[in-house]
This record gives sequence, C-alpha cells and structure tokens, in this order.
Amino acid sequence: MKNLLSVAIIMAFSIVILSFTMVSNEQSTTPQSSDVTYEVPNNVQVILDNSCYGCHNSDSKSTKGKMKLNFDKLGDLKQGKLVSKLSRIYNAVNEQDMPPKKFISKYPDKKLSDSQTETVKEWANDLINKNGGL
Amino acid sequence: MKKTILYILFAIFILLQLIPVELPTTSMDNPDDLLLNNTDIPNEVVDILKNSCYDCHSNETHYPWYSKIFPTSILVARDTREGRLELNFSDWENLSRVNKIGVLEDIVTAITLEEMPMRIYTLIHQDAGLSSEDKELVINWAEEFSDNLYD
Repeated sequence: MKNLLSVAIIMAFSIVILSFTMVSNEQSTTPQSSDVTYEVPNNVQVILDNSCYGCHNSDSKSTKGKMKLNFDKLGDLKQGKLVSKLSRIYNAVNEQDMPPKKFISKYPDKKLSDSQTETVKEWANDLINKNGGL
Repeated sequence: MKKTILYILFAIFILLQLIPVELPTTSMDNPDDLLLNNTDIPNEVVDILKNSCYDCHSNETHYPWYSKIFPTSILVARDTREGRLELNFSDWENLSRVNKIGVLEDIVTAITLEEMPMRIYTLIHQDAGLSSEDKELVINWAEEFSDNLYD
C-alpha cells in the first residue's frame, strides 16, 4: 500500500515536471524578436544551387563573391545582417545584376527565369518579414 | 627649336586651365553626419575615418592645390563625386538601418580586399594608408556597430 502511494506520488511529480518542461519548450519555440528565422524550401534551394551557390559558398574561388554572400554561413548571421543580405539578394535578382551577365553568357542555363526570379524574391521577402523587416 | 616646343606646350597647358572643372561643393555643417551623431565611436576609428575616408566619402573634402589644376582637377572631381555617391558619411543618418548594415558590410569588404582607400589616393596622401592594425580597428568597429543597429 505504502509502495503504491509512493509510486503514485512520484508519477504525479513526474507529470507536473514534464508538463512544466513542455510549457517552457513551447515558449522557446514561439518566435521572439531576436530569434533568427532561416529556412530554405526545396524549390528555392534548387534555384540557389543551380544559379548562385557556385560562387557564393565557403570554398568559392571568387573571394569577393564569397565575402559578399556565403550561403554556407547565411543561417549563422545575426538578424540585422541576415536581413541586409536578403534585401541585397532581392535587389540583385530583381534588377538582374545577378547572376552576372558575363557568367550567364558562358552558362546560359544559369540564368533565372521570370518565375525563378519571383520565387527567390518571395523567399527573401518572407524571411525579411519573419526577421523583423527592413 | 626645343625652346619653341616648350613654349607651345606651356601655352597649351595655360590654355587648358580655362576649361572649367567643377569640384563637388564642400560643407562643414552636416547635421546627419555619422561621427556627429555617434559620439561613442572610438577615437582611433574616428581618426582613421577622417584621415583616410572623409575626403571622398563626406562633404568635408579638403581639396589639395592640384585639384584646381587641369587635368588633375578632373580626376579629383570625379573621384569625389563618385565616392560621395557610393557612401557619404555626411548623410549617414538618412540611411535606413538595413542600408546602414549594407554599407558597413561594404566597408569591411573594401578594406579587407584593399580596394579602399584607393591606391592613387594613398600614393599622394601617404599618411592615409591603413596599417593592419588600422584595418582591424575599422573592421571590428563596423561589425559591432552593425550588430547594434538591429537590437
């Protein structure tokens, strides 16, 4: 009888503690203003891999390309710097500054189609808004 | 004969001075200036910015004597005009916070890749060149200043 009681008490305690940790978990996943949101859906990833990643990655031969934008490190940036990079991505594809014209004339399949441009712009815009906006 | 050629060249040089070259106007009264509005910027960084950047990237240009002489006047006028267009510290406070971060990023890139200050500028302004400590000071300041803009 005593044993049963202690088991019941332990179980009750465990439930209380568990429910507390669950609540605190929930709180930590709700976005706070300083939490960085960075996600790349597959349809965007495909475009970035094909047209951007070649120069904008950690092992890139283009020092400048890598310094200006490195997709391997984009998710590690603090919110302000991330928003700045995203707004530059938005402008670069919107104004067709990127991928560079010289590069496209060599590799025409890397050119962004209108719908690809829109996809990248929507992605950048969405992340900008999720990270506190401009 | 040699003398005549020299005289002619000199006359041409004098005549060339009549070509009007308009240098961008200067102003010492800039209420939106970076340094004026951010007095917590470390003194060492202030000195570097003033000494190595402000001639082309602010309204506080100190024009040297040869900036009034053709053809160097054309070069000085162009570099100052383009420099201010790219970044004008005198108008700093008019930038949005995201543009400020973008400019600070560009500062870091330009200094790291030694694109700035321009060779032609440091050739004449020997004291405007950045030592590795100077570069580190400015880069660290720019990174930190940038992070604080979004807090």
